Amino acid sequence: MEKKKITKADVTRWLDQIAEKYELIGPTEDEDVVQFRPVNSGAELTLDYANSLIPPKSLFFPQVEGLFSFQKRGKEIELEEAGPLERDRVVVGIRKCDVESLSLLDRVFLDDVEDALYKERRERTALIALACPTPPRASCFCTSFGIDPLSPKGSDILLTDVGEVYLVDVVTEKGEQLVAVAESLFSKVTEKEAQDLQPPPVEMPELDLSELREKLETLWEDGYWEKLSLPCLGCGICTYVCPTCHCFDISDVGSETDGVRYRCWDSCMYNDFALMTSGVNPRPTKRERIRNRYFHKFSAFPSRYGTNYACVGCARCLVHCPGGVEITEVIKDILAKEGVSEG
Amino acid sequence: MQDKLREIVRKMLSDGDIEYFVGYCQGSEAHRIVPCFVTEESEVEKLVWGPLCLQNLSKYVLRTRDLDGKVGVLVKGCDARALVELIKQHQLERDDFVVVGVACEGQVDPRKLERELGVPLEQVGGIEDGGDEFLVHVGEETRKVAKEAVLRDKCFFCKHPPSFDCDYTVGEPEPFTIESDRSEFAGVEELEELPLEERRAFWRKQFERCIRCNACREVCYACYCTECLFDRNVPRWLDRPPLLEENEIYHLIRAVHLAGRCIDCGECERVCPVGIPLSRLYKKVQKDIAELFDYQAGMELETVPPLVNFDLDDQDPFL
Repeated sequence: MEKKKITKADVTRWLDQIAEKYELIGPTEDEDVVQFRPVNSGAELTLDYANSLIPPKSLFFPQVEGLFSFQKRGKEIELEEAGPLERDRVVVGIRKCDVESLSLLDRVFLDDVEDALYKERRERTALIALACPTPPRASCFCTSFGIDPLSPKGSDILLTDVGEVYLVDVVTEKGEQLVAVAESLFSKVTEKEAQDLQPPPVEMPELDLSELREKLETLWEDGYWEKLSLPCLGCGICTYVCPTCHCFDISDVGSETDGVRYRCWDSCMYNDFALMTSGVNPRPTKRERIRNRYFHKFSAFPSRYGTNYACVGCARCLVHCPGGVEITEVIKDILAKEGVSEG
Repeated sequence: MQDKLREIVRKMLSDGDIEYFVGYCQGSEAHRIVPCFVTEESEVEKLVWGPLCLQNLSKYVLRTRDLDGKVGVLVKGCDARALVELIKQHQLERDDFVVVGVACEGQVDPRKLERELGVPLEQVGGIEDGGDEFLVHVGEETRKVAKEAVLRDKCFFCKHPPSFDCDYTVGEPEPFTIESDRSEFAGVEELEELPLEERRAFWRKQFERCIRCNACREVCYACYCTECLFDRNVPRWLDRPPLLEENEIYHLIRAVHLAGRCIDCGECERVCPVGIPLSRLYKKVQKDIAELFDYQAGMELETVPPLVNFDLDDQDPFL
């Protein structure tokens, strides 16, 4: 793997040139909220940031997307499918936890039945990841899931901020093509120089999760879930800011003869999420719903897809939960459990 | 004050007066104070009180309807207004719960504090009340921050329901006052002066980024319907996808439903992950209700809310 470097001023120029060829998307700040948005130039981006509110999963699996529009004329029904992306895309500034989350979402949307929209977006998007700063945010805990916030794995290019310059890992062919857009802005670094520049490993409080799943699976009927559900308000923030949550709902907007079929995010924290037409709701209270969320992350998803866990330690849910439910505390509580309590 | 609070709660639990107490405890970072539910005497020591006890805990009292016993709750004056309204709106009986009122010297708006300090909130090691200012510990330093700069907007116009009796008090709860030249409805008046199109553009820009997480609804003390009209699909009042037009309708319906009931607790704005200035919208509703009906929600148990009032002598030509 080749290593290069580029000055911060030149990164902006490089991104300007990328924006001419590709759709460039990256973190931008508006009304105090950092979100991934399409931009026309590098200067619009906020690369000195912690992480975005909504994870960049939304670029591959948007909160709302029209699947097709329909028109009914007499007995004829005309369907018009959503068109392909206009241009190939480059996402810059994505953090390692979010890169890792895409590999989990790939299992959902690309294993077995392929989701054509997701697939196209993944294939036609290059990822320029941004290594995490030292120290990381106090709430981050990705290393507990074996994620190295400085690793280039999963991205096409990794930028590491080392002061005046970025150290550049070019990981894939897609990455090489992006560097080639403005090759002269980059300079080579020797192995020795790269080693000197490379920041030390990121340290964050680490949880030993080796027994989490096993322990959790004994606690289905535990009184803990009732108590945990008390502060939960039943809003959808934790699921919408989660980079690995992927539940959606499909609904038609318009009239019976003219409209669009949309897919949009749904949340297992909502009362009507599991409600059936018969009126039966298998998750009738917040207790069952919050239990479902943790079981899905730490038991059901890993069991179905053979992955480690379905959480990447970004801590967005912890930071934004209006009821103060903190996933790290939940994990600690589960690990500390000795036997089942009635609560 | 914390000791007094803990003592009261310990006694309530040991006497069997309540099933659990809803108060505040420390979250995983110093600046994050979270609601907590104390069922055991051994947990009483977790209870804290300070200028970052932001949540209006009154909403959690509604659960008492599903319990055999009572819920105890810690309320600031502003939160007590929610309890007054819940009783008036026949959601709770006064005897269903036990209220501990606490003397509040103003609450911090975390977003303002972060801006004022210029460092991430996670670096805040603690915060204490210091009269006109807050003493904020950041690393080794103690920084003095003027209350004027970081208080929650509602604290500038603190109102307590005067006739509401708390079962216990910690300190002497009375409305917090601060010298300031702010006017309560300035933010609304500024918008009211804009031409219609600009006003619409302002709100559309805000609602455009709404992700419809429903946090503003779920945190609202007044959103206690068993089934919200937004969740009904037959008939479908609101389409599910968070498209701008739908978001507009969502927020406008909420605002109108809160007319005469909004107590300005500011929780909707606090929890909004995308920072929509919802208090400004609800201030408009409060202002209209005050001007049209001379009424403020949550202040007295006895008065009848204007939108549920019926008067045969009503001269309104519209009727």
